[in-house]
Amino acid sequence: MKPLLLVTKQGVYGSLQDKGRYGYRAFGIPLSGPMDNVSFHAAQLILHHFHDQTSFEMFVGGFEFEALADSIYVLTGGCCTCLVNSSPIEMWKTFHLTKGDRLAIKNVSQGSIVYLTPLGGFHSEYELGSSSYLPLGNLGTAISKGSILYGQVASPLKMNRGLYAPYRPTFASSITVRMFKGPHFELFTEESQRLFLQNPFQFIGGNRMGYYIKGPTLQLQNMQDILSEATQFGTIQVPQSGNPIILMADAQTVGGYPIIATIHEDDLHKVAQMRMFNTIKFVLEE
Amino acid sequence: MQTIIDFPHSMWISQQTIRFAFHEEISHANFHAVQAFNRFLTKQLRHNLIESVASYHTVTAYVKQQVDVDLLRRQWLEMQVSTAIADGTNRLLKIPVCYDEEFALDRQRVMDYTGLSFEDIKRLHMSKSYYVYLIGFLPGFPYLGELDAKLFVPRLKNPRASVSASSVGVGGGQTGIYPVDSPGGWNIIGKTPFDLFDANGKEPFLFELGDEVQFYEITKQQFWEMKSKGV
Repeated sequence: MKPLLLVTKQGVYGSLQDKGRYGYRAFGIPLSGPMDNVSFHAAQLILHHFHDQTSFEMFVGGFEFEALADSIYVLTGGCCTCLVNSSPIEMWKTFHLTKGDRLAIKNVSQGSIVYLTPLGGFHSEYELGSSSYLPLGNLGTAISKGSILYGQVASPLKMNRGLYAPYRPTFASSITVRMFKGPHFELFTEESQRLFLQNPFQFIGGNRMGYYIKGPTLQLQNMQDILSEATQFGTIQVPQSGNPIILMADAQTVGGYPIIATIHEDDLHKVAQMRMFNTIKFVLEE
Repeated sequence: MQTIIDFPHSMWISQQTIRFAFHEEISHANFHAVQAFNRFLTKQLRHNLIESVASYHTVTAYVKQQVDVDLLRRQWLEMQVSTAIADGTNRLLKIPVCYDEEFALDRQRVMDYTGLSFEDIKRLHMSKSYYVYLIGFLPGFPYLGELDAKLFVPRLKNPRASVSASSVGVGGGQTGIYPVDSPGGWNIIGKTPFDLFDANGKEPFLFELGDEVQFYEITKQQFWEMKSKGV
């Protein structure tokens, strides 16, 4: 464990994430882990990590760092301007920082979430089997201006590695995702069921716990309470307002709002990378 | 208990999640069915099961690959007898609560709603044992049921910005304890000196699903003594 980076400027929101905190959902501990699994895993592959290591996940950039030691990194995820000592560098390709270098993650132009991963991953104490940060449970390490990110000991990379441009994910401003009917789908009016399946919804904000989307208002046939039950990353709940909420990586483990649908696991990364006013459309996976 | 529990209704929630549902109600019968079924699934699915979450009437299983539901149904019928015998493995936990005014932030509100004296409210709160029907909302937050109907008080319209850890509250037909400092809308009537959640402890959580819980009253002095001993 050695000091790698000093956070010199804090962006919108950043947190350390590993694969997630498995095995504690029955105790009310959210799974956590990366919002965009595809970009997170790409970083692991590029760095030749045998196991998933810890990345720093950033929302819409804004972070700046000073290197405290020499190391290799890769940036993956939403398309953004990345500068090393004011010169732009390419994402999806390993790069080297020398002690004293400054790394800046500027505005994100496509997608919204960026992963910074050093060779060997960041070091953070394991709590309940994971290093993922969860503010609500005070689990993991909070990162803000002045924080130091530590690295793990790793064997060196023999050459520069990266993903060729055609293989890099792109993030469209309107997406279509597969979903499964939720346990309470039939409790909605037929009109609402139809509107839900036929209309796009617009992303209007959110965080690691949930994304808010707006479209036609969805109503239950009868205003009734349902019993709380298990939820997950991808659960689409509809509170009384009629505007759906998509639960994300830090989703609470149980919820009491009617569940209209659940998004297919393989499409969650697209949802995570949505930006303000992007649209999402749902298709039923039979 | 020798009643045969019907195999629950099953439904795939997503590629890797299957939900098993009993009748939609909060009841003791459901509680036992859910507990028995959750144990059955844990045993039967073994390494295919990532984890499972039980609620009032559902068991949601997160699995690595598809599950053969018909096979499970046959196994469930065969195992009914042994499940029935294996029941009664619940722990009884006695939880001290200090109902002092300093901790009972919603004392007046609960008295107004119920029309009872605070002495009666305490007595009713301690008069029976509860089961941990559900854990969720916060790390280790136990939903304890069922509360005496006389103690029914709706949750606060505007939740508190911060309820301190170990506060004991009532909300609707349930009572519960806050494991960590968090925003919350339950009516706070006391506080326990016990810690419910310690991420670095050998046993991070005080409660487990299915535990039987009984409250008893302690004085403020006892509260601070227990607290300082770190029980």
